[in-house]
Amino acid sequence: MAAVIPAPWRRWLPWALGVLGVLAALGLQTQLYSGQVRTVATIFMFVALALSWNLIGGYTGYASFGQVVFFGLGGYFAAVTMTHLHWSFWLALPLAGLAAAAYAALIGVPLLRLRGHYFAIATLGVAEGTREIVINLDGLTGGGGGITVPTVGAAAATKYLGNDGFYLVYLVLAVLALLVTGLVSRSKFGFAMRAIHQDEDAAAAVGINTTRTKVLTYALSGLLTGLVGATYAFQQVTIYPERLFDVEITVLMVVMVVIGGSGTVLGPIIGAVALQFLSEWLRQNYTTVHTLLLGAIIIIAVVLLPQGLVNYLREARRNRDYSLLANVRRYRL
Amino acid sequence: MTGFLQATIYGLLQGGLLALVAVGFSLVWGVMNVVNLSHGAFVVLGAYLGWQLNSSLGLDPFLGMIVVALILFCIGYAVQRFLINLVVNGPIFITLLLTFGLELLLVQGMNIVFTANYQSITTSYAGNAIVLGGIQVPLGRLLAFLLAVGITVALVKVMANTRVGMSIMATGMDRGAARLMGIRARHVYALTFGIATALAGMAGTMVGTVGTFNPAAAGGFTLLSFVIAVLGGLGNMYGAMVGGLLMGLVQAWGGYYLSGTWVNALAFLVLVIVLMFRPSGLVGKAFYSARLEV
Repeated sequence: MAAVIPAPWRRWLPWALGVLGVLAALGLQTQLYSGQVRTVATIFMFVALALSWNLIGGYTGYASFGQVVFFGLGGYFAAVTMTHLHWSFWLALPLAGLAAAAYAALIGVPLLRLRGHYFAIATLGVAEGTREIVINLDGLTGGGGGITVPTVGAAAATKYLGNDGFYLVYLVLAVLALLVTGLVSRSKFGFAMRAIHQDEDAAAAVGINTTRTKVLTYALSGLLTGLVGATYAFQQVTIYPERLFDVEITVLMVVMVVIGGSGTVLGPIIGAVALQFLSEWLRQNYTTVHTLLLGAIIIIAVVLLPQGLVNYLREARRNRDYSLLANVRRYRL
Repeated sequence: MTGFLQATIYGLLQGGLLALVAVGFSLVWGVMNVVNLSHGAFVVLGAYLGWQLNSSLGLDPFLGMIVVALILFCIGYAVQRFLINLVVNGPIFITLLLTFGLELLLVQGMNIVFTANYQSITTSYAGNAIVLGGIQVPLGRLLAFLLAVGITVALVKVMANTRVGMSIMATGMDRGAARLMGIRARHVYALTFGIATALAGMAGTMVGTVGTFNPAAAGGFTLLSFVIAVLGGLGNMYGAMVGGLLMGLVQAWGGYYLSGTWVNALAFLVLVIVLMFRPSGLVGKAFYSARLEV
C-alpha cells in the first residue's frame, strides 16, 4: 500500500525531471543538423498531440476518434486569419486554440451523452463532416486546392520561423501539454475524470457534475490539439483539407497513448517518442515495407501489452510478475 | 423528373451494394462488440481476388465470387481465432487498434502485390443497360443489387433457422450463458468473423465489377460500413440493408441537388442526427447500443 501523503522527493522529482528534459531538448538542438531538427520537432508535435488525446481518451475514457478535427480547425483558423486578415502568427496561435476549444465545447454537449463506440463514431462523423465543410467553403479556405500562408515579403506579418523556430514552438507546446496533464492528474478535477472513466453512473451519484467535467476536459483537449494544428499549418505553409483532417493523425495519437499507457502522464510521451522514432527509422531503412512493418508492430504491441507499457510496469512491479504470457491472457477469450 | 427518378434508381442500386459491403461489419459488431477497422481492407482484397481469378483464369466475376468467399472465409476464421480472440475482452481502444494494425498490413501488402493502380473487373455484359421509360438501369449494377439483396436475405434465414446461426445470435446476446449451454465461443466468434469477411469479399468482387478500386479505397469502405451499421442499427440483420439503401439514396439525391462535395458532409450529418435521436439505429435493438462491453 502506497503512503497516502507522498514523500517530499516524490513531489519535486517530476518537476526536476521535467526541467532536465527541457534542458536536454535544448542541448540536443545544438547537436543536430537541419533535417534531424525537423524530425525531432515532429516527435515533440506528437508528444503534445498524444498528451492532449490522453486527457479525453485516457483519463476520461471517451475514445475521441475524431480528435483530428481540432487539429484541422486550429490549422485552418491560423492559416485563414494569417492569409486574409494578415494576423501575426503569435496572435493567430492562441486564438486558434481557443476556437478549437469552443468547437469542442459546442459539439461536446450533445456528443458526450453517447458512450463507447457510439461516441467514437459520432466524433469521427463530425471530423469528416467538418472536413467537407472546409473543402466547400473554398472562398475562405481555398477548398481542396489548399491555402498558402504568406511567409515572406510585405504580406507576411510573421516571417517563417525555420526549422529551429518550430523546434522551439513544438517543444513549448509539448511542455504545456505535459504541465496541463501533470496538474490535472493530481487535482480534484483529475479524480473526477478518472471516476467517470471507471463508472460514470457512480461518479454522478457521488456528486460529480459529469457533463461539466466531460465538456471541460474535451475543450481542454481540443485547445491543446488546436494549438498544435495551428503551428503545423504555419510550418507546412501550404495546407490541404485531406492532410489536416487526416484520420491517420487521430489513429496515431490513439496508438501512441495506448502503447505507452493511457491515463498516465508518462505513457503518451513514451509512446509518442518510441512510435515516431521507430516509424522514422523504418521509413529510412525499409522504405517500401515500412507501413507494413508498422502495422505488424502495432499488432504485436497490442497483443503483448494491451494496457500499455507504463501500466504494465506498474502492475508487474506491484505483483512481482513480469511474465508477458500472463499479460496476454488477460483479455483473451 | 426523369433526372430525379434516375437518381433514385441509381441510389437504390448503389444502396443494395453498400448494404452487402456493410452487413459483415454490422454482424461482427453486433455479435462480439468489435468495430473492425480492417473490414474495408477485406472488401478490397475480395475485389483483387475476383480480379485475379477473372484475368488469369477467365472466371466470370459473379461465379468467381464464390471462390473468393471461400478463401476469405478461411482467412477471416484464422484471423479471429488466432489474433482477435487474444484481445477480444479488452477495452474498445484495443480491438480498434488491433484491427487498424491489420488494416495497415493488408493495405500495404496489397499495394506491394497488386500496385496502387486503379483496377476494375471487366465483363462483356455489365456495361449494357436496360432502358425503362427513359431511365437507364445498368445491367451489372442490377445484377449486383439483386445478388446483394439475395445474399442478405439468405444470411437472415441462416441466422434465424440453423443451429450455427442461432448459436451465433446466442453468443452475441449473452456469451456467458451461451458457453454454459455448451457453445464454444472461440469457434463461434471465428465463424462469425469468417462469415463477415466472406461477405465483404463477395461485396468487393461486385464493387470491382461495377466500378474501379485500389488498395487506398479500403479506408473509405470501412467508414461507409460504420455509417451504415449505425444508421440501420445492430441486432437486426436487416439493419445494414435499411442503412445501406438510405445511404445510397442520400448520396444519389445529394449528388443530384447539391454542388461540389457537400454530399459527403450530408452523409455524416445524417449519421450524427440519427446518433443523437435514435442511437439504436433505425431498426436496431436498444440492447446492443446500450451495452458497453460483452
